[in-house]
Formats: sequence, C-alpha cells, structure tokens
Amino acid sequence: MKILLTLVISVFLSTAALAETVKVHVPGMVCQMCVQGMQKQFKSAVADPEKDVLVNLDTKVVTVHTKEPITDEDIKKRVKDAGYNAEKITRVSNEKKVQEETN
Amino acid sequence: MGVYHKGMKHIKYFSILLCLFSSYAFSHPVIYKDGFVYWGSFTPDMNTQKLSYTFDPSYSIEINSSWFSNINEYRDYTIGANYLFKRWLNADSQGNLYGSIHAGTYEDKDGTGNVGHAMLMGDWESRELYTAGNIMGIYFDNKELYKYSYRIGVAPYVAGMNTLQNWLILKFDYFKEDYNGLTITPMMRFFYKNVLWELGSNTRGDSFLTLMVHY
Repeated sequence: MKILLTLVISVFLSTAALAETVKVHVPGMVCQMCVQGMQKQFKSAVADPEKDVLVNLDTKVVTVHTKEPITDEDIKKRVKDAGYNAEKITRVSNEKKVQEETN
Repeated sequence: MGVYHKGMKHIKYFSILLCLFSSYAFSHPVIYKDGFVYWGSFTPDMNTQKLSYTFDPSYSIEINSSWFSNINEYRDYTIGANYLFKRWLNADSQGNLYGSIHAGTYEDKDGTGNVGHAMLMGDWESRELYTAGNIMGIYFDNKELYKYSYRIGVAPYVAGMNTLQNWLILKFDYFKEDYNGLTITPMMRFFYKNVLWELGSNTRGDSFLTLMVHY
C-alpha cells in the first residue's frame, strides 16, 4: 500500500514539476476571435485549451497552464501565429504553486 | 431587342451587386494560422456563402458561392486570396488593412460568364468602438463597377472571455450606379466564442441574417 502511495505521489510530483503556468502580455487583443486564436495556437501545449488557456481582455494577459515546460521562442511563435506579438513573458512554477497552496 | 437585352443585363448586374454588397459582412478575411472560417448571409431570396483557410497569419485562401433566385436564378462560384497588409496593435485596440482578389464564373438563365472582384478594407476596433471601411470593385464583361462601404459600431457593454459580445452597428453603402445611391443598414452583431451572427434590415426594407463560424 505504501509503495503504491509513494508511486502515485511520485508521478504526481513529476508531472507537477514538468508543468508550468506562463503569463504572456499581448497588446491589441479586443475580441472573442483573439481568444479563439490563442486557444488554437496553444492547443498542443496544454491538456484542455478551454480551461488551460485563459485570455483576460481587460489586462491583455494570456495565462497558459502547460503540460511541459515551453520556451520563450515557442511562446512568441504561437502568439505570432495567432496574429499578435508577445511583449512580456512571466512564469509561475506549478510545483511552487502546489507547495504554496499546501503550506 | 439587343439594346433592351443589354439594358436588362446591366440592371441584373446592379441588382446582384446590391444584394451582394448590402449583406457583405466586415469579417476579418485573415484570422490565425490554420484557422477555418465559414461565412454565410441569407435572405429568403438569396444566399452568399464562403469558406476560407488561413495558412499563415498574413494570408488566406477562400471559395465563395452566391445565389439570387429573384435575379434570373443567378449563381456564381469564385476562388480567391486575402492578404493582411498591416496590423496595428495598440494597448487596447487594433487596426487592420486587408486586400482581396477573387475570380470565378457565373451562370443564370441567359448563360454563363466570368466574374472577378477586388477589395481593399480597413478596420479599427477597441472593446467599445468599432469602425470599418472598404472599397470593392467588380469586373465582368469588360466593365468595372465600384462600391464604397463604411461601418461604425458601439458596444453597449464590454464583454470578457466567453461572454456574449454585442454591437450596435450602422452601415452605409454607396454605389453611384444605383438610383438610390446610398443605402443605410442598422444592424446588431452578436459574438459568442467562435460564432458570430448579424441581424439587420436596410432602408430598402431588405432583412438579412449573417452567420460566421471560425475554427
């Protein structure tokens, strides 16, 4: 039982370590089509585009919960393919988030 | 008889242009990479439909078909390309300049022929205000006709992600060959997720529904 529990926790932690949350500042996003474009371009990097790609049209920030780490170049390319420019990229580690939430 | 026929043919083309242009939606002809757009405009007597694929955020290809039952059963099919010349991305707004060229064939009860059209379109949009204008040319039987359109819209409220976006729009179409010249069309636009639809009725009393789905 202990072994099984350890295994499950290890898998969970390793997945959490790989995943990350990225925030991208994208000026000029004003409509639903911008949202659709972002979700489409980040589709392969996330588990569920509807839940994992969030576009805030007020702040012009796209928040992406990725399955695996993603490079700045990759992010810039995906945003470019959506028709926009990524201006500022900030990262929040999911492992750090889990630890913070646990504490 | 020949003169009469030529005159009738001219009236027919003007009627087609009016139907086509008065319902023509100012949608973005180029969207995001690998994006598909289906667009259709419908009235009881006509429909215009198109399908486009954006294979780069700067250009797309498009197929169109139009049908007008009350204009000699006119039907046409065209294929074309759309290009985004420039996009201005501001802090809380964006502007776009597009160009389009389409060509194809038409048929009606009198026969068949070639048809082509070219368009230059610009728009500017924030979350509260929207404006767009275009110049469209149509070429057939060695003739050239031009139509000028302008739109201005306001959003009654600011919509966020995955909420219904609504616009109140006034559209002006000028076509100098038309006996009325200017046509004004008040309309409502709704946009929810990947579906956009417009409902309106112009000063001639023609009502229409426009539907656009992008994926």
